[in-house]
Amino acid sequence: MALFSAFQTTFLLALLSLKTYQSEVLSEPLSLAPESLEVSIDSARQCLHLQWSVHNLAYHQELKMVFQIEISRIKTSNVIWVENYSTTVKRNQVLRWSWESKLPLECAKHSVRMRGAVDDAQVPELRFWSNWTSWEEVDVQSSLGHDPLFVFPKDKLVEEGSNVTICYVSRSHQNNISCYLEGVRMHGEQLDPNVCVFHLKNVPFIRETGTNIYCKADRGDVIKGIVLFVSIFEETKDFSCETRDLKTLNCTWAPGSDAGLLTQLSQSYTLFESFSGKKTLCKHKSWCNWQVPPDSQEMYNFTLTAENYLRKRSVHLLFNLTHRVHPMAPFNVFVKNVSATNATMTWKVHSVGNYSTLLCQIELYGEGKVIQKQNVSVKVNGKHLMKKLEPSTEYAAQVRCANANHFWKWSEWTRRNFTTAEAAPSEAPDVWRNVKSVQGHCVVTLFWKPLSKLQANGKILFYNVVLENLDRPSTLKLLSIPAPANGTELTLDQCSYQIRVTANNSVGTSPASVIAVSGDPGNKEVEEERVRGTEDGFCLSWKPQPGDVTGYVVEWCERPGDPLCDLQWKNLGPDTTSTVVSSDAFRPGVRYNFRIYGISTERIPYLLEKKTGYSQELVPSDNPQVLMSNLTSYSFTLSWKDYAAESQPGFVRGYSLYLKSKAARCLPGSEKAVLSDDSICCKYKIDNPKQKTFVVENLQPASFYEFFLTPYTSVGEGPQGAFTKVTTPDEYSHILIRVILPMIFSILLIMILCYLKSQWMKEKCYPDIPDPYKSSVLSLIKSKENPRLTIMNVKDCIPDAIEVINKQEGTRKSLTETEPTKPTYLYLLPTEKSHSGPGPCICFENFTYNQAASDSASCGHVPVTPKAQPQLGLLTSSENGPKALGKNYVNSLGEIPAGETNLNYVSQLASPMCGDKSSLPTNPPEPALCSEYKTQMAIPMGLASPPSITLLDEGEHDH
Amino acid sequence: MLACLCAVLWHLPAVPALNRTGDPGPGPSIQKTYDLTRYLEHQLRSLAGTYLNYLGPPFNEPDFNPPRLGAETLPRATVNLDVWRSLNDKLRLTQNYEAYSHLLCYLRGLDRQAATAELRRSLAHFCTSLQGLLGSIAGVMAALGYPLPQPLPGTEPTRAPGPAHSDFLQKMDDFWLLKELQTWLWRSAKDFNRLKKKTQPPPAAVTLHLEAHGF
Repeated sequence: MALFSAFQTTFLLALLSLKTYQSEVLSEPLSLAPESLEVSIDSARQCLHLQWSVHNLAYHQELKMVFQIEISRIKTSNVIWVENYSTTVKRNQVLRWSWESKLPLECAKHSVRMRGAVDDAQVPELRFWSNWTSWEEVDVQSSLGHDPLFVFPKDKLVEEGSNVTICYVSRSHQNNISCYLEGVRMHGEQLDPNVCVFHLKNVPFIRETGTNIYCKADRGDVIKGIVLFVSIFEETKDFSCETRDLKTLNCTWAPGSDAGLLTQLSQSYTLFESFSGKKTLCKHKSWCNWQVPPDSQEMYNFTLTAENYLRKRSVHLLFNLTHRVHPMAPFNVFVKNVSATNATMTWKVHSVGNYSTLLCQIELYGEGKVIQKQNVSVKVNGKHLMKKLEPSTEYAAQVRCANANHFWKWSEWTRRNFTTAEAAPSEAPDVWRNVKSVQGHCVVTLFWKPLSKLQANGKILFYNVVLENLDRPSTLKLLSIPAPANGTELTLDQCSYQIRVTANNSVGTSPASVIAVSGDPGNKEVEEERVRGTEDGFCLSWKPQPGDVTGYVVEWCERPGDPLCDLQWKNLGPDTTSTVVSSDAFRPGVRYNFRIYGISTERIPYLLEKKTGYSQELVPSDNPQVLMSNLTSYSFTLSWKDYAAESQPGFVRGYSLYLKSKAARCLPGSEKAVLSDDSICCKYKIDNPKQKTFVVENLQPASFYEFFLTPYTSVGEGPQGAFTKVTTPDEYSHILIRVILPMIFSILLIMILCYLKSQWMKEKCYPDIPDPYKSSVLSLIKSKENPRLTIMNVKDCIPDAIEVINKQEGTRKSLTETEPTKPTYLYLLPTEKSHSGPGPCICFENFTYNQAASDSASCGHVPVTPKAQPQLGLLTSSENGPKALGKNYVNSLGEIPAGETNLNYVSQLASPMCGDKSSLPTNPPEPALCSEYKTQMAIPMGLASPPSITLLDEGEHDH
Repeated sequence: MLACLCAVLWHLPAVPALNRTGDPGPGPSIQKTYDLTRYLEHQLRSLAGTYLNYLGPPFNEPDFNPPRLGAETLPRATVNLDVWRSLNDKLRLTQNYEAYSHLLCYLRGLDRQAATAELRRSLAHFCTSLQGLLGSIAGVMAALGYPLPQPLPGTEPTRAPGPAHSDFLQKMDDFWLLKELQTWLWRSAKDFNRLKKKTQPPPAAVTLHLEAHGF
């Protein structure tokens, strides 16, 4: 049996070999076709995975083959992809190839077929295509399910800017489907009646939660959508590596944004070094450490790969390790051997290789500025001497280092502060003096300015003042004044001294400043000169002095008026004849006085010139108190002698006098001016500031004037003030006074004389009239007992008539003016002749204002019998008036209705006779008894009768 | 007239209905629960606006009304009016309690998904408030003597994760969750208003409004 099997196998192999041989020999090549083609789908990635194998290969045979793959869409004739895939093939090896579709695979049916050819130089005779495999169909739609609508691809993740194809698959032909991208309708391309494709180009990143795309049918409650996640994946920037100790490389980079990806899908960073082939996964997003191997690898080629779910990006960096050395900051930094002018700085550096040299940079800072900069080469220990330093000054020194051979980066600075030692003051203090003579003694006040920091060279502890009496040169007196005093007061018995002042610190003494005072205080009379100040100060100049002058000093007070004065001075050289004095303390409107001294060779100052001025002149601050005198009818004098022009905030250049008057024209010497309140007046200008009186002349007598005086400076006039009123007296008033006063005096004299001589005057002018009752005759009569004899009394005489004379006065005219004036008589006694009519009503009451009286009939409109009553006829002289009025009255009464009676004017005439209102219309009053209101008194019936008295004038008649 | 009013005031202490003391009953807690639903309604309005904007269009469009796909597990607030009227107090309260228990669980899932810190803060704050409402309903039920419904084992609602549930459907679920929550809060306000009226005592007191004009 075994023998049979062995035979059979041998036979088959021989047959195969024969077959192969035949094919080779007969040029009928054996086709190596792909077989067992299988196609699978990856929906998420939209990929078709193909796998196949080639069976017709000999054992252990490896051949290079090329496979041509065709992919068609919808129908097999619509080939959308053709690709040749080359690979090495072994017998029965499963080969794989993938293809990513732009269109979601669910959107259309795809078909795949392939063929193969040997592409191997060993067997060139087999280089021909095999037959195509049969089409392998991929139809995902059939397995989708029964939902009426689908949208593909499902929740795809893409990079920003890529192109995406979307489709919907509808199960119903009738439904009209509309699709929206972020709420905006999309328009697509109909692939077949149920499938529509939308091409989105350059998709943007919108939000973390993705871009919403959805489709809905116009009928039914169908809505389907997908979310397109768009990610941003930026390039990694600024990739760099360096070492600080040649043991560790530190690589850093700026990671690009990768928005739109969930944390688990976001970027990861990998560092790969190609020479060593080592790789490390970086834990941090922006840096990574790499251990330098001890085998002193010099060259490094790094690749940093940033990778996310979608793709990866890489950056490369090739460098020599020694070129990327960033040294550590220097250590053990000290500043040693610090003197007044020198100091030494020492430091150490971390080693960066055995033979490397570091370049170190030293900077010296004084008062915040770099004053020295130096580079030093250092192996391990560094040292640098800093020279030309200022004594007693704070400095800061700092050092940093870098690789001297291949500069990469400076290390950090290491800084130290130090202060140089003190030295003796280099300059003499600037000294000035003020000399006063008090009670025979000479009081010298010394002032000096503190030395500047550069001059002092340390802290000034005290000042030494040495007084040397010039008269007795051997006599010296030493005073030590502790700092920070800037002056002292010395009381000397005489004024011939030389004074030396030195400043002292802990190290030594400054040069001496010498000044001398002499018996002559030097305050000789010098003309004060005015100077004009500017914003920059006062420009002072003086005449050069003949002879030996060692210098000049300008002295002034910064606070004039203040007892402390704040004396300032300025030392100037012997060749100087001008200077500008400026100070922040100068204020506008303040007068500053400057004194210029010359310094003799004996160091004695003597006054040369005085200057005075304002840094800025202002208008006068107040007006003078003006006194008026010598007031005459034509002039008056004004004076303001108490006015202190020197205390004004500017030089008073003169005065302006404003004069207001009723006269239209200004007086000679004045001109019209308009005041701030727009009133016009005359202005006198007094140009001489020393003139303190002024006579206002050419005035009008008995006229009213107002004046106002104000000073003016170069800037303007003083403040507007109140005008003083003045009235010039009358021209003749003084004459009158000269006449009236003596007259009054004379009258008084006469009166006194009259009084003294009154008795005499009485006797002469009005002697006593004897009284009959007191007469002695009475006693004689009484004694004779004759009762008939009596003295007649004037009261006992009854007059029978009074004559009233109507006297006309002035312009007053009566109604009777046209008639000749004739005497009118008032008859007071009853006489038969005078009774010429019925009895009049007698009433002097005004019933208008005394109704009660009228009602009670107390005032009589009572008809009186002519015989019983005396009559008093009070009549107007007008005959027509009462008649007309009486007519009016009757008419009024007759016409006025009962109801209106009390409102009528007539009611004022209501009398007991006619006052009954109810009977008014029926019983009108008798006009004969009740006359009109006008007279308000009894009017006799016989109005035309002659005896009438005019008591009222024309005006009184007029109502 | 004034004398009459004074007489009424004098006899006021004798009116028994004005002197009620003792246990206030469930009334105040029902009122508080009602107030809480109104507050949550207001709070949700702001939260939903922010969250729907976060989801993007069409979910934040005012007229977007998708079918209730995939949100079937959410408790429905809408109910037939007659059915709602015929609910007894116990059932009414139980339905509310169960609904908010479920909604709270879904909402916590939403909180975990949210990407921005501010949104997470808002969601957490709302969850705390909703937890308070749940406690308040439990309090009312306890006051009325009703037992709390016991959750059935294995029915704890969870957000369905994974690829089976597409992101779009997930957004739909979130949309429906917020919408259903809003409807539930409306319904609860009505539920508690009804309960409030039922538990209120009949009006037995006279309210006098005496204006002090003339004094």
